[in-house]
Amino acid sequence: MATAAASRRTVRINGCVAAAQAAKYADVDVITAYPIRPYTATMMALAQMVANGELDAEYIVADSEHSQLSMAHGASSSGARVFTGSSGVGVQFAYELYSPISGSRMPVQMMIADRTLDPPGDFGSEHTDALSTRDMGWLMGWSCDAQEAFDNHLLAFRIGEDPRVLLPQMVCQDGFFVSHITADVDLPDTGQVKEFLPPYKHPYPLDPRHPVSHGPQIMPEQGPPLQLERARAMEGSVPVIEQAHNEFAQIFGRKYDPWLEEFMTDGADVVFFLQGGHGVTARYAIRHMRERGAKVGMVRMKTIRPYPTDRINEVLSRFKVVGVIETNMSLGCVSSGGVLYSEVCGALYESATRPLVLSFMAGMGGEAIVLKEFYWMTQKMLDVQKRGGIEKRTHWVGFEE
Amino acid sequence: MSTKGTHIPDWLKVPFAGITPGPSQEKGQDLFPTGNWRSIRPVYRDKMPPCNNACGTNEKIQGYLDLVKRGKYLDAYALIKEDMPFPSVTGRVCYHPCEQACNRGQYDEAISIRAVERFLGDLGLALPRDVVQAGPPNGKKVAVVGSGPAGHSAAYQLARMGYAVTILEKSPRAGGLNRGGIPDWVLPQDVLDREVDRLKELGVTIKTNTEVGKDVSWDDLERNYDACVLAVGLTEPNKVKADGEDKPGVVHGLPFLRDIGMGTSKVKVGARVAVIGGGNTAIDCAREAFRQGALEVTMITVESNPQEMPAVPEDLHDMLEEGVELLHGRAMTAVLGNGTVEALELRPARFSGAINASPITIDKNAPAQRFAVDNVIVAVGQHASLDWLPAKFKTERNTIKVDHFGRLGDSKFFAAGDIVQLGTGQPLMVVNAVGDGKRVAFNVDKVLRGEALRPRMLATDVIVDLNRMNMTYFPHFDRVKQDTLNPASRRKTQDEVILAFTEEQAVEEANRCFSCGTCNACDNCYLVCPEPCIIRYDRSNGLYKILVDYCKGCRVCIEECPTGCLEGVPELDFDTGVVRMETAFAITQGLHGRQADELKALPQRAAKEID
Repeated sequence: MATAAASRRTVRINGCVAAAQAAKYADVDVITAYPIRPYTATMMALAQMVANGELDAEYIVADSEHSQLSMAHGASSSGARVFTGSSGVGVQFAYELYSPISGSRMPVQMMIADRTLDPPGDFGSEHTDALSTRDMGWLMGWSCDAQEAFDNHLLAFRIGEDPRVLLPQMVCQDGFFVSHITADVDLPDTGQVKEFLPPYKHPYPLDPRHPVSHGPQIMPEQGPPLQLERARAMEGSVPVIEQAHNEFAQIFGRKYDPWLEEFMTDGADVVFFLQGGHGVTARYAIRHMRERGAKVGMVRMKTIRPYPTDRINEVLSRFKVVGVIETNMSLGCVSSGGVLYSEVCGALYESATRPLVLSFMAGMGGEAIVLKEFYWMTQKMLDVQKRGGIEKRTHWVGFEE
Repeated sequence: MSTKGTHIPDWLKVPFAGITPGPSQEKGQDLFPTGNWRSIRPVYRDKMPPCNNACGTNEKIQGYLDLVKRGKYLDAYALIKEDMPFPSVTGRVCYHPCEQACNRGQYDEAISIRAVERFLGDLGLALPRDVVQAGPPNGKKVAVVGSGPAGHSAAYQLARMGYAVTILEKSPRAGGLNRGGIPDWVLPQDVLDREVDRLKELGVTIKTNTEVGKDVSWDDLERNYDACVLAVGLTEPNKVKADGEDKPGVVHGLPFLRDIGMGTSKVKVGARVAVIGGGNTAIDCAREAFRQGALEVTMITVESNPQEMPAVPEDLHDMLEEGVELLHGRAMTAVLGNGTVEALELRPARFSGAINASPITIDKNAPAQRFAVDNVIVAVGQHASLDWLPAKFKTERNTIKVDHFGRLGDSKFFAAGDIVQLGTGQPLMVVNAVGDGKRVAFNVDKVLRGEALRPRMLATDVIVDLNRMNMTYFPHFDRVKQDTLNPASRRKTQDEVILAFTEEQAVEEANRCFSCGTCNACDNCYLVCPEPCIIRYDRSNGLYKILVDYCKGCRVCIEECPTGCLEGVPELDFDTGVVRMETAFAITQGLHGRQADELKALPQRAAKEID
């Protein structure tokens, strides 16, 4: 497949189009699509690219997300580089396919523009849709703006398709806050992408000339070795992720820490811990509060699968209080709040100087987290620091005094 | 790192993501045995096809038709010769109960089995040497009295088992009923001659002009042989006991045919001939009468219509084609004429009763009918001549009294053929005599080897229900017809009436065979198995092997088996059935096999480690 050569330039696009651009630069072979807002904008952008000849790829519109992911699975099995995506309940409808795709080690890439799960129909961003699939063996992480989304898509192809890894990837961005807000995005030279991302080559593609069986039935005792190997692949991706980020920086000139972004954490006593687009607002709030003397900072997690346990333990142990902004819901869970609390606490348990951890149910249903709420949450963290203990583990922000 | 320090033992090593090589013909999917899902197992279990079951000597008809299909004529001939010493004879004369039983008859038309048998028989006769050989001599001597179908068959089977067989035949030429009861235009003499030669080639001695009771005594037989098979047949014609039946010009059916067959006939028939009787011999006599010069032949039967006549329908059809007239519901009560036959006296009569036992009711009060003829041939059955037989072995029907195995009490004497079958309900036909001779020969062998005779306890599963087969695989095809001589011309010749199949015709007809209930290596199971776990094991005899470690018991092969030879047998019926709890994962191939070995080795290894 060939993609029209393009030279480096800066364009003003939203997160959805940035994802589509990344797929184009990655020269994907097959796109499987089924419309659901806010992901629809990505599929529209790709449809235009295929229609006007910018991208030579098979573009398949499925009859549902389940078929969409099944087709992606099949296409990937044949050795194609596959791009797909969805939002909200669409992500859920394809749930059956997530484990088979990672279990058969097919590096399908899926773009998620988060959307709150029903009911009722809510367009707003909440991370529960993708987070609910976090244990299915997909590499997973959130971007906080369009540029990062573009970069993360290229990085994910490079990592997922590495022969040491061969795992599918969910590249997530907040619906609307990232997916539909335009920003300047630096698009690379096609030559740079070619240098960074080698062609995809599955070791055993479906090929009538060399017949193989994919996904056969197995005996009970044959399951554990396969599970262990999938676990090894997930853990084995850690050095691959770090290497990819280093090479990315060398080729494209943008250096990311693959795991955590720390913002104004020097000398901080209390920090926010969050994922995705709210990190952008958090930076403003923190700058304001720092000006007023509050020792507050932010740690934004960029990759949740594989989970950077040791890094989180090491970084968060430096602080007195951690306030986890969930933007997701895990009903009846450890904190009666969200998923991230238990993930953070689990990483901190073995720390000798572990901080106190609060869970903030904020940004739910896709609401913006306004500055006032960041101040309110900071105050809660400072109170806990002062008191030296937690009075209330989880706070529903905006519903308490 | 949770996976740090993990180790997958060799016997659990799996390929990348469980991706396996494509299933191979020899191994199926070696890695992932799915056989333990099965609750039923497909088993090739051949059933008895109705043709084979109906045949008097149980020829493996489905087997030789299948071989003919594949062009393996010699193998087919060898197979037929297991049960039938002279397929060239029965291929011409048999009343083919196989064709009446043929399942294809319910579908379009029965297979023309007899014609294919004749094709094979003639092929066998053309061989410079027969495929059948005598068994290694065992030093025992058996006498067979009579060289008709039963005697020939018994001598043939005994010679194959290594016995020194001597046939005692009272006539000047061997062949018995085959020679003396069947006209040339059905069975040419030279065909029979060659079959008799084949028997001699097996080492059988045939003493002609040797009559028991005259040339050889009962005591001689008992003294000189280890065993003796009496297959003397029914040599004496029945009489209707009408007035004037002893006049010149009155002949009896069997002697009439026998004298022509032996070449000793002095009979000259006139222009108008009547035949009394409605059986197969009567039909042969009527048709022979034309060939001996008659211009008008009338068959007079007590049966009131052709359907009641105890005759083979197609022979009756051929006879009518040749111009024989039928006169039903009459009995001959007297032969009229002064020194010669001038006319018959007929009276209305009724036949009541079974074949071979014919009580006839004649209406004596009805006015007699005069029927002008020049000759009359009486063909109303035969009986035995058993003066030489010790009285204790005689039945009240004047046949030989035998036990279930054809043996005369505890003696070394056995009997076979019409001489025991008369009155038992068994049609007195060549093939039934052959079958009887064969079975008795095997019983003789058992007795001489000191084995006990036991009734066969075989429960035969005769496949007669077309629903047990998959008829979608069988398109309709017309039966291949045997050509016949023109009826007008054949009346004056001894040439064979029914012509032989060409090779193409024989193959075309064999191709119509359903192979009911028996595997004919059609490859359907092999092709439809979705696993695929059926492999061609040995194409030559049509067997397949099911890799039971991979067969999931989906039944597709069973449903799609055209012939119905595949059956689903519950796993619990097998000692090694996979649904038994203790053997739930008892897989012998692939990874499980290695695991099983590993598990077996475990206690020994543990013991060592404890030391």
